[in-house]
Amino acid sequence: MITQLTTSLYNQLVMAAPDCLQPGQEPKTFTDIRSQSFRKFKQLGFPTMKLEDWKYINLQGLVNQSYSLEDSLPGRPVAHERAHIPGLASYHLVMVNGAFRPDLSDSIEDSGITVMPMAEALDELLFAKHFAAYADKTDNPFVALNTALFQNGLFISFDKGSVAAKAIHIIHVVAGSESLFSQTRNLIVMGPNSSADIVETFITEQGAGKSLNNLVSEVVLEESARMQHYILQTASSQSSYLTHTEIHQSKYSLYNNYNCTFPGASFVRNNINVRLAEADVEGHLYGITLTADDQLVDNHTIVDHLKPHCESYEWYKNIVQDASTAVFNGKIFVREDAQKTNAFQQNNNMLIGDKSTVYSKPQLEIFADDVKCSHGCTIGQFNEQSLFYLRARGIGEEQARILLVHAFAFDVTSRFSNEAVKNYVERLVEEGL
Amino acid sequence: MNNTNDEILLQELAEQEYKYGFTTDIEMDIAKKGLSEDMVRFISAKKNEPEWLLEWRLKALRYFHQMELPTWQNFRHPNIDFQDISYYAAPRKKPQVNNLDEVDPELLSTFAKLGIPLDEQKILAGVVAVDAVFDSVSVKTTFREKLKEVGVIFCSFGEAVQEHPDLVKKYLGSVVPQTDNVYAALNAAVFSDGSFVYIPKGVNCPMELSTYFRINAENTGQFERTLIIADDGAYVSYLEGCTAPMRDENQLHAAVVELVALENAEIKYSTVQNWYPGDKNGVGGIFNFVTKRGICKGNNSKISWTQVETGSAITWKYPSVILKGDHSVGEFYSVALTRNYQMADTGTKMIHLGKNTRSRIISKGISAGFSHNSYRGQVKISPGADHARNFTQCDSLLIGDRCGAHTFPYIETRNNSALLEHEATTSKIGEDQIFYLNQRGINSEKAVGLIINGYAKEVLNQLPMEFAVEAQKLLAISLEGSVG
Amino acid sequence: MLSIRNLQASIEDKQILRGLNLEVGAGEVHAIMGPNGSGKSTLGNVLAGRESYNVTGGSVTFDGKDLLSLSPEDRAREGLFLAFQYPVEIPGVSNINFLKTAVNEIRAYKGFSPMEAKDFLNMVKEKQGLVEFDAKLANRSLNEGFSGGEKKRNEIFQLAMLQPKLSILDETDSGLDIDALRIVANGVNQLRSKENAFILITHYQRLLEYIVPDFVHVLYKGRIVRSGTKELALELEEKGYDWLKETVDAEAEKAI
Repeated sequence: MITQLTTSLYNQLVMAAPDCLQPGQEPKTFTDIRSQSFRKFKQLGFPTMKLEDWKYINLQGLVNQSYSLEDSLPGRPVAHERAHIPGLASYHLVMVNGAFRPDLSDSIEDSGITVMPMAEALDELLFAKHFAAYADKTDNPFVALNTALFQNGLFISFDKGSVAAKAIHIIHVVAGSESLFSQTRNLIVMGPNSSADIVETFITEQGAGKSLNNLVSEVVLEESARMQHYILQTASSQSSYLTHTEIHQSKYSLYNNYNCTFPGASFVRNNINVRLAEADVEGHLYGITLTADDQLVDNHTIVDHLKPHCESYEWYKNIVQDASTAVFNGKIFVREDAQKTNAFQQNNNMLIGDKSTVYSKPQLEIFADDVKCSHGCTIGQFNEQSLFYLRARGIGEEQARILLVHAFAFDVTSRFSNEAVKNYVERLVEEGL
Repeated sequence: MNNTNDEILLQELAEQEYKYGFTTDIEMDIAKKGLSEDMVRFISAKKNEPEWLLEWRLKALRYFHQMELPTWQNFRHPNIDFQDISYYAAPRKKPQVNNLDEVDPELLSTFAKLGIPLDEQKILAGVVAVDAVFDSVSVKTTFREKLKEVGVIFCSFGEAVQEHPDLVKKYLGSVVPQTDNVYAALNAAVFSDGSFVYIPKGVNCPMELSTYFRINAENTGQFERTLIIADDGAYVSYLEGCTAPMRDENQLHAAVVELVALENAEIKYSTVQNWYPGDKNGVGGIFNFVTKRGICKGNNSKISWTQVETGSAITWKYPSVILKGDHSVGEFYSVALTRNYQMADTGTKMIHLGKNTRSRIISKGISAGFSHNSYRGQVKISPGADHARNFTQCDSLLIGDRCGAHTFPYIETRNNSALLEHEATTSKIGEDQIFYLNQRGINSEKAVGLIINGYAKEVLNQLPMEFAVEAQKLLAISLEGSVG
Repeated sequence: MLSIRNLQASIEDKQILRGLNLEVGAGEVHAIMGPNGSGKSTLGNVLAGRESYNVTGGSVTFDGKDLLSLSPEDRAREGLFLAFQYPVEIPGVSNINFLKTAVNEIRAYKGFSPMEAKDFLNMVKEKQGLVEFDAKLANRSLNEGFSGGEKKRNEIFQLAMLQPKLSILDETDSGLDIDALRIVANGVNQLRSKENAFILITHYQRLLEYIVPDFVHVLYKGRIVRSGTKELALELEEKGYDWLKETVDAEAEKAI
C-alpha cells in the first residue's frame, strides 16, 4: 500500500540526507538512530490517502513542490509580541523557523529547570535515555523524517520537585519570504513531582512565504509529575503544520493537553498520543477547533491505557465554517492489563459552513473486561430554537451566535486551569467567528 | 466471580456442541476444485443461462483476478486457496421440483431435522414461505402458488433467470456491482443459486418470505445471490437462516444480497446467522464474507436490516443502505455474539444522498472467550442530503478478560443541515446482577441468558415473532454457563 | 426454622461476624438492630450466599438443611428471601419475565410444573394490590429508572410472589418516606403467617412501629449483645447507640 512519491520535496530530502547523516560531530549512537530513521522514511515515503491514518488528507499539493531546507537568514530579527497572552505570567522561549533563539527569549530563573537548544543536549543523560524512545515507535513517516534530519529544537528538563513559577510560553514563529521546509524536535522531561504550565503558540510573521513545518515533541512525565500543556495554533494561511506530540506517563502523573486551532493556517495535522504506561495515571485531552475559509485541520489522537486504574477524559469540539474541513480521529486502547480503566471520549461538531465538511472517527479498542469506556459523537448546527429565544430577549443575531458558540465550547474551556489562557482562547473563538 | 466453579462453567460453554453439525449422506454432483473461466462456463451451462449472464460472470471473474484481498482487518487474516474450493455442488436428483414427492427423502429429513418445514400441508397455512438452498442449489420453494395469486414472485434465482429474465437483467448488480469488492466479484463469477423476490406495485406480501441456507458438501464454497425488488408501495418481510456441518477445514461462504425499494416501498430483511463457528480451539468453521446492500431508490422508501449473528469462524458483513430517495429511511439492528476464537467484524454503511433521509443504527456486540467483536460502520452525508438525520448506538458487552470489543465508526458529513448522534458504551455483566437473580432462585446460566437477552432486546424486538423466540434461545444457549 | 450457631464471617480478610447466635422459629418476626458497621448487612448477605463474603466458622441450618453448603439459587428455592438494601437494575429484562422465570425455577425445584400463564397473571394482579405496586412498573425493565421507594416496593412485591418461608429485609425502610414505609409495612403484615418468618434488619426503631416484632436483637461488633422484646428497641432509640457501645465495651473490659 506504500506509494513512493517522486516528488520534489522527497527528492530534495533524499539528496540532502547524506550530508546530514555523516558521522562526525554527533555521537555515533545518535547518528545510527538518524540513519535508521532515514531508511524508514525513505521506505515509507510521504503518506497517501490510501493509508487509513491519512485517509482524509491530500498531502500531494504540499509535498509536490520544492522548499528551502534551511533558513537563509538565521538570527533574523522577528517580532513575537502578537503571540503574547494578556495577563499570563510567563517566560517566553522564541523559536524562529524551527530554531531556538536565546537572544529573543527570557531566561528561566526557577531552580531545577534547564532549557537548551537540542543540538547542545546530545550529551545529556536524559537525552540518551528518552530521545526517540517514544514517538519513533509509531509508524508516522514524518516522525522518522524528523528524527533523521532535524537540526533544531528545544530540550527542557525539570529536576525532581521543581516547579515553574510562571508558565513557559514557547512561541513558534515562521518568518522570511522564501518557501521553507522546517523541522523542530523537542524533548521535555518532567522529573518526579515536578510541575509546569507549558503554552505553545504558533504565529506567522507578516509577509512570510509558504512554509511546511514538521514538529515532533516527546514529553516524559516521571512519577507524580504534573503538566498543563496548551497548544494554540494561530498562524496564517501560508503556513502549514505537521505536528506529532508523544506523551509518556509514569505512575501518579497528571497530564492535560488543550489543543486549540483557530482560523489561519491552511493545513494542520496534529498527532497527539498519550501513553498511560503505568498504574494510577491521569491523562486528558481537550480540543477546540475553529476553522474558516478552506482550512483543513486534522486531529489524530491516541489514548493508550496500558496499566490498571488509569483515567482518561477526551473532549474535542469542532466548529467548522465556510469551506473548511475538520477531522477528528480518536482512538482509545485499553490493553489486556488495564483493568479498572475509566476512559471517556466525546467529539461534538458544529457544522456551520455551506461547504464545510466534518469527518469523525471515534474508536475504541478494548481488550480488558472490567472497564468503563464510552464514546460519543454529534454533528449539528446552531439550535434554531435557542437562537430564536435569545433574539426574542433582544440579543442581536450575531451576538446570539457568539453566545451559543461559547456555550458549545464551554465543556472544554471550563477545563482550562489557567485563567489567562482560558480568557485568551475565549476571545480568539469570538474573533474567529 | 472468578472462582473455579465459574471456570468449569466457562469450560462447559466452550465445549457446548454445535447442534446442527451433522452431515447428510446424499448423492451429489460436485464440480472438481478450482476457479477458472471454464468453471464459470460450466456453472453457467449447468444453469442453462443466457449469453449475457455468462458474459456478466466472466467480466466479474476478470475483475476478481485483478483485485487484491482486503487488508484492513485488525486481526488474523485467513489464507484462502481459491483453487482448493469446489464451486458447484448439487443434489443429484433433479434440482428443480415443485412436487414434494420428487425431492430426495434424505433432503426432506435434513430440513425437517433443522426445523425447516418444506411440506406445505404440515405448516399452518400462510405463516412463512420457504426457499430451501442446499449447497449450491435451491431445492424447494413453498407456497409459490399462493403467492402467485397476489402477483408476488418468490423462486430460486435460477428459475428467475429463466422465467423473469427482464427483471433479473434490470436489477442484477445494480446495487452491488461485480467490482464492488473481491468477494462480491467472486460471487458474481460463480454464484450458483439463491432467491429471487419481486413484489408488484401496491402489494403487501401476505406472508413472511424465508430462505434457509444449508452447506453440506465438503470442500465447497457457497455463493448464493439474493435479489429482492419491492415495487412502488409494496411491502415485504424476508427472513434468512443458515447452518452447516462441523468440519475441520474452513469453508467459504461469500453471498451477495441486493435489495431495491422503489417509491413508498418497504423491505424488512432479517437474518439469524448460525453457521458452524469452529470448535473450542478455533479449528474449522465458516468464513462468512457477505456483501449485503439495499437501495432506497424511490422517495419515502424504507429498508431495515436486522441480524442476529452467532455463528461462523469469521464474519465480515456490513448490510448497508443507500438512501437515494427523498424522505427515505434506513435501519440496521444487530446483535453479534462471539465466543471461543470467533471473530465478527460487522456493521453498516448508511449513505445519505436524498433530502430528509433518516437512518438508525443499533449494534450490540457480545464477546466471550478469546473472541473479538468489532463494529465497523460508516455514516456518510453527501452535500445534497439536506436535513439528513442519523442516530447510532453501538454497545459492547465483555464476558471474560481474554476477549476484545472494538468500535470503528466513520462519520462523514458534507452538509451543514445534518444532525448526527453517535453513542457507544462498553460494559460487563455485573456480579451483583447475577447474585440478585440467584437470590430469586434463578441459576447463573439462566441469569446470564436473561441479562443478555435484556441487553439485546432493542434488536430482538425488530425480528418477526417466530424468529425472535428462536434468536433468544440461540443467544442463551450460545452463552450457557459463561458467567462474567 | 433457622438456627445460626457461632457464625463467623469476613470480607476481604476483615472479620465482621464474630460468633453470632440466633434462633428463628416459624411464625416469628425478629428485628436486628445495631450501629453502622456492626455487621447487620453482612448477616443478610452471608445467609443469602454472596460470594464475596467468607464464612470462617460456625453453622447455619435452615429447616434441618445445612444452609451454608447450598448455592445462592438453591437457598432461594428452599425459601430464603433477601429483600436487598440496594436492588440492582437490569436493563431490558422485564419485571414480569424475570418473576415468571423465578417462580417457575422455584416450582421446578420442588417438582411442580410451570405455572399456567393465566394463573400467573392472576397472582401478579392480586399481589400487586397487596403492596400497591403500579401495574405499569411490573412491565418495565427490572428496577431500571425506578425511584428508591419503587425499588423497595418491588422487593416486597417479589416477596409476595415468591412466598418464601424466611424473609430477610435488609434496611428496607432506609430512604422511604412515611407513605412508602406504611405501604411496605402493610404488605409485610398481610404476608405474616404461622408458617413463615421475618428478619428485619434496621438501623432505626421507626419501622418497628409499623411491623411489630416478637423479638429484638442488638448486633454490635459482630455479635448479638442484647436480646429482648419491642421495649428494647424503644430503649435503644431513647438512649442511642453510643450508650450501648459504652456499656457493652465496659462489660467487655470487665470480663478481661
